[in-house]
Amino acid sequence: MFIIIAGAGRLGILLAKKLKEDKHQVSIIDKSEVVCNRLAEELKGVLIIQGDATNPDVLKSAKVEKADILVSTTSSDADNIIICNIAKDAFSIKRTVSRVNDPKHLLLYKHMDVDVPIDSTSILARIVEEEASFSDVMNLLSIKKGRLSIVRVDIPQNAPVVNKILRDISLPPSAVLISILRGPEIIIPSGLTKILAGDEIIAVTIIDNEKQLIRSLIGKL
Amino acid sequence: MKYIVIIGCGKTGKELAQEFSKEHNVVVIDRIKHALDALGEDFNGRKVLGDALDLKVLETAGIKEADTLILATGNDNVNIVISKVAKKLYKNIKKIALQVYDTTKKRIFSEEGLIIVNKTYILVEVFKKCLL
Repeated sequence: MFIIIAGAGRLGILLAKKLKEDKHQVSIIDKSEVVCNRLAEELKGVLIIQGDATNPDVLKSAKVEKADILVSTTSSDADNIIICNIAKDAFSIKRTVSRVNDPKHLLLYKHMDVDVPIDSTSILARIVEEEASFSDVMNLLSIKKGRLSIVRVDIPQNAPVVNKILRDISLPPSAVLISILRGPEIIIPSGLTKILAGDEIIAVTIIDNEKQLIRSLIGKL
Repeated sequence: MKYIVIIGCGKTGKELAQEFSKEHNVVVIDRIKHALDALGEDFNGRKVLGDALDLKVLETAGIKEADTLILATGNDNVNIVISKVAKKLYKNIKKIALQVYDTTKKRIFSEEGLIIVNKTYILVEVFKKCLL
């Protein structure tokens, strides 16, 4: 795929590198000449354009009309929205993704038709909150903007599921136990698998049912 | 008597607010307290301290009742984004005027219903009138 990145801050650069490693074609745009000169050394094979990405001529020189996706990562929410809007309206880009700097501006992004606004502050806050509140639970991975998560739950002695077989445990909808780690053993569970104290359970769940899942496994939050 | 919301209390915003508040209901929004203070003691309108990219702040300023919206933040992109979203969400607003410095942007965002004020264009018009 061909991806345009507007804004070469830490996020923009990291993204460009990863996409390049995955063999995608990448253009990156940044206002700063200093940043662009440095990137020319660092990012081989990436088209680097120096200029204001809210200016359509600059987007054009990044070959935006040939791009599949535009990702805006600048530190100004107004700029990100304008960049995504121009990409869509003037260059018919199908998918626009943007970083949201201030969570209070998320609603604006939604009303202005940015396809995927990513509010990293809120996502991070949620992860920190989870880490801080449940000691027996660890969020291993969040996907789909944090809506789906893979968690590890350590089963304590007094958990309600200890010595029960999976078939007899009621789990919330849209939550599945993927595996049980018992010492060196990795068990892919079936309905007859019995849970023991000390097991580490790996489960996938939609975020809305995460607390319910944890409650049914360890009996508390 | 019209309900006018002015966003940005710099040189332009301040002058407009003082002028319009003589005859209309005016609310001025700015992120900086200092800028709002510059309106002076005898300013006959309401001041809202906050970030106008936050729709809650716009609603605190009574945007749902406004007849006119003026954008004079000094940042083209902020002016454009807020005017576009206001046009889409608040059908009560009859006129939206925004300051845009960049002439290229004036061309792209000249859509129906938005009054775009560009200093360069105005100057060119004045010069033409004076000279031709």
